Amino acid sequence: MSTFQFEIVTPTRTLDKGQVNYVRCPGMDGSFGVMANHLEGIIALSIGEIKVTIDGKEEYLATSGGYTEITDEKMQLLVESVEDSDEIDTDRAKRSLDRAQVRKEKHSLEIDGARVELSLDRALNRLRVARR
Amino acid sequence: MANLKDIRDRIKSVKAIQQVTSAMKMVAAAKLRRAQERMEQARPYSKRLQGVIENLLPDVDRGMLDLLEMREVKRVGYLVVTSDRGLAGSFNTSVIKKTELEIAEIGKGNSDIFCIGKKGRDYFKKRNYTIIEDHVEFWNELDFNHAVKFGNSIISHFLTGKVDEIRVVYNWFKNVGVQEISLEQLLPLSFSDEIKQYGNRIFEPSKEKIVQSLIPRHLNTQVWKYLLESYASEQAARMVAMENATENAGDMIKSLQLEFNKARQSAITTEMLEIVGGAEALVT
Repeated sequence: MSTFQFEIVTPTRTLDKGQVNYVRCPGMDGSFGVMANHLEGIIALSIGEIKVTIDGKEEYLATSGGYTEITDEKMQLLVESVEDSDEIDTDRAKRSLDRAQVRKEKHSLEIDGARVELSLDRALNRLRVARR
Repeated sequence: MANLKDIRDRIKSVKAIQQVTSAMKMVAAAKLRRAQERMEQARPYSKRLQGVIENLLPDVDRGMLDLLEMREVKRVGYLVVTSDRGLAGSFNTSVIKKTELEIAEIGKGNSDIFCIGKKGRDYFKKRNYTIIEDHVEFWNELDFNHAVKFGNSIISHFLTGKVDEIRVVYNWFKNVGVQEISLEQLLPLSFSDEIKQYGNRIFEPSKEKIVQSLIPRHLNTQVWKYLLESYASEQAARMVAMENATENAGDMIKSLQLEFNKARQSAITTEMLEIVGGAEALVT
């Protein structure tokens, strides 16, 4: 199976995944998959799960959104944050989920509704990926 | 010959200074390590983001986004990054000198300054430059939100047409020993003329949306980079300056000690001569 170079870059770290077979990313309008020799392009990503297949083995990561650039040489992800499924702190994710839910119910004017939704999404996503 | 007590006092005070400089050196070294780590982690992201934008821009019509608008340059905004505290060698003076030279070219009346750090603000304020905004005393709790805040006010200054170009003067951190004064154009975004040809490229959700969300993010990351680089440079410059100061104090103590010993010796010799002279006078 042909492979391609895959890298994830965030403001705090860089993950070089090397040669991979397949990457699935959360796009703005649903997930999409990338394989070798993909068309070049720039695609915005939303909160969600990234699945990477390396040598037939599958890895799952949680991201909070960003962009991906696909060129002939490689695919790179420029995202705000990324966490491997086994490095996710589930307790922390649960706490922020609870916090977001409480805030959502309160629905006060001081709290920005869109921001609450986003943090709810992020927490749910982290928990989902952590279960993998 | 200097008075013995005077020399002793001077040695004491130089030793006290040496203690202070070596403590400052230690503090700067500890801060430097953290700052350097942070900066090095942030570097690839801002570099890649810039790369993506450079790849994107040839495909983009400049009219699409106000941030890309090229205007005739009549008025320039300068973002000047200095520190709040001194005692860091030429760290602040070289940024200030560079800015002054730049401003002299376009004219004091045609320049707006955004000052980051007390040193730059004090200097330019005293000399009646136009300071639009200053941000001081935040370095200790520096985080990304500062970059967003500064970035937004600079961007709006550009967008409202108050200036036609934004330039940044800051200390670029090359390594612990070398920090280079760097002048960069932040707005309007420029890119190299060699346009790489792309075939069919896909943009999702759309080219416009990507440009609109990517560029403000890029600018904030750039500002963040300037802050991190400058902070690390400041600590490095201070560390080196304080190390030199400690060394100089050491040399000074050595030579004062020598002088002290000589003075002491000659005092003893004089005393002995007096005693011998006195004794001889009694004998004869």
